Amino acid sequence: MNTFVALETIINKPELLAGAERPEGLGRTGLLGYFSGTLGLFVFLRIFSAVPPGVMSFSMVLLLVLAANFFFASAIHLFMDLTGVKGSASRLFLAFGCSDYFLALLVPLAFFAKLHILNGFLWFCLCLLLIIYARVRLVRRLYPVSVNKALLSVWLPYAGFSVVFFAVCVYSLAWLIWLVI
Amino acid sequence: MEEQNNFGGVNPGEQPEPGAQPAPSVQPASAASPRGAALWLKIIAGLYALSLIAALAVINRADAVRKSKPKDLDLSKLTGIGQSKKDAVAVIPIYGAISQGNSSRSWERGSQQIAKRITALAGKKEVKAIVLDINSPGGTVGAVQEIYSAILKAKAETKKPFIARFGEVSASGGYYVAAACDQIIAQPGTITGSIGVIFSVGNFEGLMKKVGFRSEVIKSGKFKDIGSASREMTPEERKLLQAMIDDSYDQFVTAVSAGRKMPADQVKLLADGRIYTGRQGLEVKLVDSLGDLQDAIDKAGELGGLGKNPRVLTDSDPFENFLSLMDSKLSLFGAKSVFDSVSPAASLEYHWYGK
Repeated sequence: MNTFVALETIINKPELLAGAERPEGLGRTGLLGYFSGTLGLFVFLRIFSAVPPGVMSFSMVLLLVLAANFFFASAIHLFMDLTGVKGSASRLFLAFGCSDYFLALLVPLAFFAKLHILNGFLWFCLCLLLIIYARVRLVRRLYPVSVNKALLSVWLPYAGFSVVFFAVCVYSLAWLIWLVI
Repeated sequence: MEEQNNFGGVNPGEQPEPGAQPAPSVQPASAASPRGAALWLKIIAGLYALSLIAALAVINRADAVRKSKPKDLDLSKLTGIGQSKKDAVAVIPIYGAISQGNSSRSWERGSQQIAKRITALAGKKEVKAIVLDINSPGGTVGAVQEIYSAILKAKAETKKPFIARFGEVSASGGYYVAAACDQIIAQPGTITGSIGVIFSVGNFEGLMKKVGFRSEVIKSGKFKDIGSASREMTPEERKLLQAMIDDSYDQFVTAVSAGRKMPADQVKLLADGRIYTGRQGLEVKLVDSLGDLQDAIDKAGELGGLGKNPRVLTDSDPFENFLSLMDSKLSLFGAKSVFDSVSPAASLEYHWYGK
């Protein structure tokens, strides 16, 4: 099935994601979503010289995005499973890939940022919020849960990651101070 | 939950729910919507492709401009047109008391690591001269001589000039090391000199008697426990140690005499253990000139054929510095160094204890 048709069907009939059989073309569409989303993110970062050029550099970003989303999808699925909600983890991972198409928006937004129409970081945050919103909608389609629970499950890995990140930062600072004094 | 096998298809067996809108009114909307979405998706994909092409073109152009831009327009760099871009003066710090490290860990600042660094940097092609940034009151005889001999060997093998730069203190063993260098540059207020040898040992005999502690020594020869802190030193031992001190002193005087190209008798006149300021040192020719680290680097650049303000290559490895810092912090939270400094074990030292 054409990727456009598959994507169009997901937009028009998202309830099919929770069907007994995996929707046709979802795998290809999801992975392409990761690829084009990461390409958008990579170009955005390249415009701000935040990443080195080259195929290897892009591959590393793609690998990072895939790994992060794999972790997010598995964490969300685990949370759902622990709270007694059944669903498919692989579909969730691929559905997240479809939400990553929004990262493609970062390419034109980078031009706006370069023209000083809002800060680049703000554009990135807006894009991230859009993706999280889409993911909440997709989680609701894949698991029969309320909006609040879907929101909680999507934010949970981000929150966990942020907590770990800040804890590491605080610990590193304390450790550095201990080393210097 | 109803099963859906055809992702894009419509289930023909679907029954309208009671109270739902009549079929004819829904059908046109559901048929028009997918076509609209597909069209929009294609437009968005086209715009995405266009913006990608534009972005990649911009990035390529920016990269090309960045690459073609001259990296440095500093005219001082043009002074050494004939020399290779990589040529540099290496700076090796020798800070604190000089002693043999307790291990072969590369980040330790023992005499063997300093000697290794001297040999390694002298062996590098791009290093044209070496500055020893010394701020040390000296140290144990063996450790000081290890650095001294590494300098002499490096000089003999590579013919590269060595410059010693004195900071706050460079006395006794610190001066011994500097004696091997071609030039010595000191600050006017630097404390230097203290040419001599010292062997000191504490005597805890009285204290041990007071607290009722007695040490039993079984030895193979009468001098086996020479330097013991638990008893008074015998005249024979004193004589023997004095002979050792005199021999080490002679080695020091010979080193200074050879390095400074001064007669040994003249050195002996200066080498009664006294300390000098940098300016006094200049008057008695223990120092060649007064200046700071930059002056020493400039001098090294001139002697190495790089001119003034040469590129400086520091031997400090950030990773090794970090490990060294961690090591010092983790070794009993610094208590180890305190223990080492008050350790009663006596040793023969080129050391100035004024600081």
